[in-house]
Amino acid sequence: MSGLVVDVSKCRGCGRCVRACASQGIVIQQRLAQVTPNCIACGMCIDACPFDALSIVKDAVDTKSDANGVWVFAQYDSGALAAVTLELLGKARELADDSNTSLTALLAIDSEQECNEIAQKLIAHGADRVLICVDNRFANHTTNVFAAWICDMVNEYSPAILLIGATNFGRELAPCVAAQLRTGLTADCTVLAMDKETGLLHQTRPAFGGNLMATIMCPNHRPQMSTVRPGIFPPSEYCESRTGEIIHTKLRDSIEPNVTLLEKLPDDAGDSLLDDDTLVVVGRGIGSQKNLPLMQKFADLIHAGLGCSRPLVESGWLEYKHQVGQTGLAVAPKVLISIGVSGAIQHLAGIGSAETIIAINPDASAPIHSVATYSIKNDALEVVKELVEQLQP
Amino acid sequence: MVEIKKMALDYLDFLRDESRSIGEAESISFPVTEEDVCDILSKLSLNKTPVTIQGGRTGLAAGAVPHGGHVLNLTKMNRITGLYTNSDDSGHLRYILQVQPGVVLSQMRKDLEDKNISTTGWSQEAIETLESLYAGPEHFFPTDPTEISATVGGMVACNASGARTYYYGPIRPHVFGIRMVLANGDIISLKRGEVFAQGQSLTLTTLKNRTISVSLPSYQMPHVKNASGYFAAPDIDAIDLIIGSDGTLGVITQIDLELLPLPQVIWGVSCFFTEETQALDFTVLVRNEITHAAALEFFDDHALDILRSQKEKGGLFASLPAIDPLAHCCVYVDLHCNSEEEAYSDLYHIGELLSSCGASEHNTWAARTALDKEAQRFFRHAVPESVNMLIDERRQTNPSITKLGSDMSVPNDKLYAVIELYRSTLKEAGLESAAWGHIGNNHLHVNVLPNNMDDYALGKKLFASWAATVTSMGGAVSAEHGVGKLKRDFLITMYGEDHIREMIRTKLAFDPQGLLARGNLFSEAWLDEEVAK
Amino acid sequence: MRTLVCIKAVPSSTEVKMDPVTNTIIRDGKQSVVNPFDQAALEEAICIKEQLGGSIIVLSMGIPATEGLLRDCLSRGADRGILLSDRAFAGADTLATSYALSCALEQLRTANEFPSLIICGKMAVDGDTAQIGPELATTLGIPSIVNVEKVLAVSEEEITVRRITDLGREIVSCKLPALITVTKDIRIPRMPSIAGVRFGETGPVEVFGAQGVGADATRCGLNGSPTQVVRSFTPERTHEAITIEGTSSEQAAQLIDVLGGFGL
Repeated sequence: MSGLVVDVSKCRGCGRCVRACASQGIVIQQRLAQVTPNCIACGMCIDACPFDALSIVKDAVDTKSDANGVWVFAQYDSGALAAVTLELLGKARELADDSNTSLTALLAIDSEQECNEIAQKLIAHGADRVLICVDNRFANHTTNVFAAWICDMVNEYSPAILLIGATNFGRELAPCVAAQLRTGLTADCTVLAMDKETGLLHQTRPAFGGNLMATIMCPNHRPQMSTVRPGIFPPSEYCESRTGEIIHTKLRDSIEPNVTLLEKLPDDAGDSLLDDDTLVVVGRGIGSQKNLPLMQKFADLIHAGLGCSRPLVESGWLEYKHQVGQTGLAVAPKVLISIGVSGAIQHLAGIGSAETIIAINPDASAPIHSVATYSIKNDALEVVKELVEQLQP
Repeated sequence: MVEIKKMALDYLDFLRDESRSIGEAESISFPVTEEDVCDILSKLSLNKTPVTIQGGRTGLAAGAVPHGGHVLNLTKMNRITGLYTNSDDSGHLRYILQVQPGVVLSQMRKDLEDKNISTTGWSQEAIETLESLYAGPEHFFPTDPTEISATVGGMVACNASGARTYYYGPIRPHVFGIRMVLANGDIISLKRGEVFAQGQSLTLTTLKNRTISVSLPSYQMPHVKNASGYFAAPDIDAIDLIIGSDGTLGVITQIDLELLPLPQVIWGVSCFFTEETQALDFTVLVRNEITHAAALEFFDDHALDILRSQKEKGGLFASLPAIDPLAHCCVYVDLHCNSEEEAYSDLYHIGELLSSCGASEHNTWAARTALDKEAQRFFRHAVPESVNMLIDERRQTNPSITKLGSDMSVPNDKLYAVIELYRSTLKEAGLESAAWGHIGNNHLHVNVLPNNMDDYALGKKLFASWAATVTSMGGAVSAEHGVGKLKRDFLITMYGEDHIREMIRTKLAFDPQGLLARGNLFSEAWLDEEVAK
Repeated sequence: MRTLVCIKAVPSSTEVKMDPVTNTIIRDGKQSVVNPFDQAALEEAICIKEQLGGSIIVLSMGIPATEGLLRDCLSRGADRGILLSDRAFAGADTLATSYALSCALEQLRTANEFPSLIICGKMAVDGDTAQIGPELATTLGIPSIVNVEKVLAVSEEEITVRRITDLGREIVSCKLPALITVTKDIRIPRMPSIAGVRFGETGPVEVFGAQGVGADATRCGLNGSPTQVVRSFTPERTHEAITIEGTSSEQAAQLIDVLGGFGL
């Protein structure tokens, strides 16, 4: 039987496991930890144990084949590759080199005209091979069509690793593929590395709203699948002279889109905060909704986008598209000016990739100061008033 | 020594409070310790400089709005300084938290909840007591005014209340100790249960061993929720005179607050009615039959309508739960129970009471989860907030308009009569209004929403007439906001000039020059007359 | 119309304290709640029921105590609860979880009670994977639409919704039965009435083990989970900030210099 096991020779009955457990899955009896039927084998207690007394054992299964190669799904939206595709190629190139294997890009596209150009671009960005399928059934990003083609390709070529960008579309497509292939999928990874000993992919992702990072492996199933958060890895270099193979493939005739697109609505969000090199992010500390126009003015003066912490969206001060943090956007601007944000850990998870953080918050103990490059420990409103006054022509 | 700063543009905010009236002052200081307060006051008393004491400036009666002189702002005295225990009447251990007056309620609550109270400078004994508090069942501080950015000092100064005052009383019974600096810099330190008046006369000793002889006002306080004037009755505990004295007796520098064990189960039920009389009948039934009700709050048809229209507009209030279009008014019941069984039994009993007064348990919101409770809290707090927004809109065209909010309470047997008074006189005057508040204490905030200055004048007149009628019903003209500077006339209506002059003489025992919190409770003119005598 | 809503029990707060020694999360008996996204999903189902009639099933996999959360759903307007609870389900990743849920749905199919519409929250606030919905739909062989922010029209045969995509929003439709995953903003969850609370206490909630829903043990729980957590840790943040001192006006001036250094 698989499950959580207590090594009684190591357990000292300290109870840390009990405090880490959310499901009353472990109790202390006679100074020893005992697993209860409530245990959901989530593994939280294993890390909480300072004596290494807990482990999860699993019945051995071995279904892995001689799978080989790193694959990247190239997301193509309305005439352009999604930015995350180039980021994936860079990381995947590294992983392929680390494991002495090749890098393949998957391109499903509805436009005959552009497919070769895009394929060449994928090669120039690091792919050794591009599997292409041109078919107008790919026009509307219907998941089942893409999933069917990818699964056919996987079954034919047996890749070891398949990476998909954690875009809205990627996070819908990847689980459909994983469920059909009955393999493991790790969502929204922020760190990927090859384990030198086992040759397995270590996939690290935030959980618990960014309070915890978990490293996940998929030892016995192939491909090892991850979706990868956009904006984390640098895009790969473009190298015109690189060469690679282009293979044209077919989508099965029987596959029909199971969702019908009726209308595309223009994105009223306009430009996304993700595109801004400079961001002003405001929090509760600006006091009142009445002060938002002042903040917008400051952002305009330095040509920055305006983001906010979650409480402001929850209070209805700004729309969700402005929310920065674990449950909003993970932004990576060059400069981020944080105004009146305390810096809850969820928020920090979303700004970790900013190059320079300038924090304005009167509370010297606010966590935002601990990640800031520059700190101003003063009333946010006062300082912004001054800034606007001094910046105004 | 803390600096006495000249009033400058930077400090404009300190000339006003939530009453939205604006005062004037020559200087301001932000003391950090009790010593600072003593130094500042002894210095200022030499020149007879008037001193207005401020906390969070969240008051609605302008008690913290200065009228010349010095502003003594206590917000930097914001440390929790210790914890000790004593035993209550039945011998149970009681935890008492010691705080400075500038501690903000929301912060104190959060520190308690998160078990994150800073113990810098605490005695070893206090730290150990804190550890035992953390190890045991969760504790809370029961007084819950709507405005949680209030400071504890301000709350003690106006004897603050909140929804749960219905069950837990105002802040008064939870205050177990006070240190207060007098106008001349001397200090009085009082613990509950140690110093009592002998009949009408009270003798206090300062830390410098000076004796103060106080004669208490001789009026009879109404037997209702009350924050109108000094707490005075024969043989009272000296500490009770200080609580609710609106800053007129001295500057409170330390407060000992009782913490209570948090009830095991806290649920909330909002009950909707199609007629106002059903809500009144229900209130009476709950008062008699639901012993674990900790709060009984009412929202009238206008209040619900304003909420509906604000929700419609989107923005801040779009996430309010949808209110049944047929609902006319709402009574919210807060249940504080010792077990789930008890809570279910109360909840179902409330369902039966609803049918017995013609309402239905289908038209209720029963909040048992944290999310639901948060939604209910949002709903209740959205009422005053959305009324303020409405007034702000009107102020854009007519800046002199402000909200007129009443704060009067009456005895239980006058509930129907007082509602009838409000309804008939408002209708007669043709004024727009919205009423909500603490119906469990027969204490509604009736808000007149003036469209123009005529409405405003009419509303003020109406309130003055209510003050007289409410007094004749045995009620109080200010049940929780305090008298401050805005309700002095109501206080005269309630007690009469002779009693007000008694109050002034009580004050002068503590502050012979009449320097502190001038204009609060009684007019400066009467005060100066009494000083001259 | 018959709808089914998938429910996950999550910790009441993802704001958690850390054990300074082992640097892991202390949960100290934090109460479980229904994942807020799933609450919005349930509210959508209730609105559809108010419009078209029919019934709502709530389905969850979890420890026995999860029954309480399903009863909470009943109090708000669901008609029936199904809980999958078995040690064999323990340690399930998203693949094994969606398999177990699919087994319960296959049982409903056999009983001729397969729902026309399955609604899931877009993601759970603790795991943030957003994978269960599409994996479940794929396992059941029905269409899925994720990130739905508004249901525009629904009938026994078809559903039309507005969803959020990478480039904006789309109006899409598909034939039923189908699965949609919804954003938290799709509906404001209602509170139960006292009458609802009464139904929640007594209404039908069935509890099944792996055998009870005919699940293949090798595809359940730890054994059926291709992924393994190797290590969990808290992200480290160590940092020294440069503090800008002075009056607010001086601070603003210095900050403008700093910004100038970035070419702003």
